[in-house]
Amino acid sequence: MHLKVKAKNLSYKINEKKLFHDISFELFSGKAIHVQGDNGSGKTTLLKIICGLTNQVKGDLELKLDKKICFLGHKNALKQYLTVEQNLSLLGVSDHQDLNKHLIEFALNKSLDVTLSNLSFGQQKKIALLRVFLNDSDLLVLDEPCVGLDQQSQKYLCSFINNELTLGKSILFSSHISLDITSEVLNLNK
Amino acid sequence: MNIIKYELLKLRSKSRGWLGPILVFILIMVAFPLTIEISNNDLGQSFFSVLWIAMLLVMMLATEDIFLEDYNDGSLEQFAISNINLSYVVAAKIFIYWLLIGLPISLLGSLFCLGMTNSIYLASHILPILLVTSYIFINVFSFGNALSLTKGSVLGTLVTLPLLLPLLIVLGKVVISINLNLNYLGFVGLLLGVLSIIIFLIPLIISYIIRAHLE
Repeated sequence: MHLKVKAKNLSYKINEKKLFHDISFELFSGKAIHVQGDNGSGKTTLLKIICGLTNQVKGDLELKLDKKICFLGHKNALKQYLTVEQNLSLLGVSDHQDLNKHLIEFALNKSLDVTLSNLSFGQQKKIALLRVFLNDSDLLVLDEPCVGLDQQSQKYLCSFINNELTLGKSILFSSHISLDITSEVLNLNK
Repeated sequence: MNIIKYELLKLRSKSRGWLGPILVFILIMVAFPLTIEISNNDLGQSFFSVLWIAMLLVMMLATEDIFLEDYNDGSLEQFAISNINLSYVVAAKIFIYWLLIGLPISLLGSLFCLGMTNSIYLASHILPILLVTSYIFINVFSFGNALSLTKGSVLGTLVTLPLLLPLLIVLGKVVISINLNLNYLGFVGLLLGVLSIIIFLIPLIISYIIRAHLE
């Protein structure tokens, strides 16, 4: 097992309001951490700090990664005026050999020529998840990946994440929905 | 190359993004001679003022949502964490906007110049000036739009418009020099000098501004 992320005494505050204080954790390859906390406790901010999108106010963060981080945030990074196929092309996954398998599983294989704005929120989320499923990363950072997904898709996501863990990838995720994923818990409420 | 392909596909699919500014430019240039009652000779005198102002306004319009859409849908976040340098992404975006908007407008400007002045000499000499100027305009307005990414494009435009006033003065001098058959290459050199600096500097500055917005 290799250490991928080491956070020591991370703190973040907006103006004078503390979001979290002295958060420390270590994430190894093949392991997952479930970031938990109430609304506004700083889950998204912590995940963004790991991705390098936000800087911590205090503390040290060490990342030992060979490849880029795969991040799924609240925003899907999809274009509403493009078709599913064009969006997949923009995401750089349109030629991936495993794409069709996931499209069939998500029942999106017959919607390739549909404009994204004509799809439901859940279907759009599934397309955003395809970027995660076809990732080439050491570390997956997923912020509420199950929002909008039906039960079947949630199970599929869980089995995917568990499979990624067996492949030695590290996963950091936040979710208010209970997921069947072997993970440690990092509670920001404490 | 992927980022250029990405931007090209995006802008091509969103035809109002590039066709709208071109149509506005044509509308201004066609409407201009219809609204004033002067002889053809005098028309040529005021044509260039209208040309530069029309180009300025159209570039302002064209770059209005150059970063806004990617910011709103989370694409900028993905670029920021990817292995690609963000300033390279910005430079590629600006280049594609120039390719799809600045280049056609420069060609149209040269054609309108030919129509208004009946001078192939003037039209052919004004084309490289238009090409360079449109690239400078797009860069500067992109900077303004990045500054006011979350606050609406008007604020950014107000900040950046004064930066372009010296450029408009230089453009006026260029036209006088071409008209009087004087050597205008010094002015072209000046424009190219400005472009060569901002073509590197502005994407770099914008990348820092975008990172600040993403926080």
